[in-house]
Amino acid sequence: MMSSVPGADRKSKLLVYTIEECPVCGQKTKRAFTVGDYITKEASKCPKCSNTARVSLVYAESAKQSG
Amino acid sequence: MTSVMSISAAVLQVTSGDLTTYLYIAFFGLLFVVQFAFGTRLQSYFAINEISRGLNKLRVMKDKARKDAIDYLVNVGKAQADPTQRVDQFLDYVTIMPVDIDPSGLVGKIDHVVTTNNDRVRAEVGSLLNQNNPVTVSISENLLEVATSLNQIHKIVRHFYLLGKKTNSYFTLVQLQMLMPMIIQEADALLNATDSFRMGEPVGDGIGPVVVSRFMAGKEKRVIAKDTVMAITEYKGRKLYVLKADGPMAYVGQPGVAIQKIVSEMGVKPSAIVMIDAALKLEGEKTGEIAEGVGAAIGGIGVEKFQIEEAATKAKVPLYAILVKQSILEAITVMRKEIAEAADKVAEVLNRVIEEKTKEGDEVVVAGIGNTLGVAQ
Repeated sequence: MMSSVPGADRKSKLLVYTIEECPVCGQKTKRAFTVGDYITKEASKCPKCSNTARVSLVYAESAKQSG
Repeated sequence: MTSVMSISAAVLQVTSGDLTTYLYIAFFGLLFVVQFAFGTRLQSYFAINEISRGLNKLRVMKDKARKDAIDYLVNVGKAQADPTQRVDQFLDYVTIMPVDIDPSGLVGKIDHVVTTNNDRVRAEVGSLLNQNNPVTVSISENLLEVATSLNQIHKIVRHFYLLGKKTNSYFTLVQLQMLMPMIIQEADALLNATDSFRMGEPVGDGIGPVVVSRFMAGKEKRVIAKDTVMAITEYKGRKLYVLKADGPMAYVGQPGVAIQKIVSEMGVKPSAIVMIDAALKLEGEKTGEIAEGVGAAIGGIGVEKFQIEEAATKAKVPLYAILVKQSILEAITVMRKEIAEAADKVAEVLNRVIEEKTKEGDEVVVAGIGNTLGVAQ
């Protein structure tokens, strides 16, 4: 008889990224999420205009999706 | 001689054919009798087996959630003593809802009980930890709530399973068997949420606060209700009162109290209240899809919804809702790319709603509803 209880975890692995955005030139940088990151947190210098970037998004995508 | 042999062969053939027929009849007859006499018992046996497997999964899940909470309290919260006993006591705490046979004033009573419980949880967690970092305290609260929920789910399922077995109640067992896949799914979502909470990652439910935080960035913020902050800003000649729970802590705040204060105590006469929240999608709907509507876009036990509806009705302010669709798993685990990327579109919709429904010089309340873990302002 087939079980209707869902089987073991078959979800694909998720990778979490932090997006930093420069409030002046709009340059976006994507890097791996580190504990302590939060949206609006001051981030590193913008590689384009050297202004302080801010974390604008934190999201997860599947390892497959992110290639 | 030949004719005698052919006759005996024919007789034999007929006899063997009859025997097969009789065997068939006997087999199906027996099957019918077994099905008739023991069918329910057989079904109950299958149901018991399946529920038992599900119950084992639930037990593993609740044990893992409990262990995760204890580990977090010890490793990150630097709990002074071994918190295991206190955590176990915490898991069995109950919140007794007020009597509803006289519904007058019921929401106030529920609010009182729930607020008492929330205060108790925070005080309890605070006494366990050897630090008062609000993010760590709020994450600990959420981890303990997840562990409590899984503990409750396991207990309730176990209760009906044992009751069904004890009373040999076929219908109790079959109903539980049918519900098991949904129960396991919800429990699995809760367990997955612990990983996101421990890491301090924004969850799908935080999409409302993500959008609203963009309007609050760089503005002066003030605490307007417990765990809730507000900023005043401007958009195309309209004065916006923007509010969300205080991030990056794992709070949901009290948007109901905040909106009541803005409308009645601060004397603001908004032309619209716009609420942005995550909404559970139906199967087949896409994650990150945006839906617009009217009414108070807020989940929970109903207290906040009641407060917002009452404030809006008294002041005759229209309530507009902007919803971002997601599953229960996506709502309580780390925010998926599709949901995060909807933030820009939601901001566009919000701007359009403000432009269409209000005019220059108007005041508008914008509320980002949801758990604001990992989303500051």
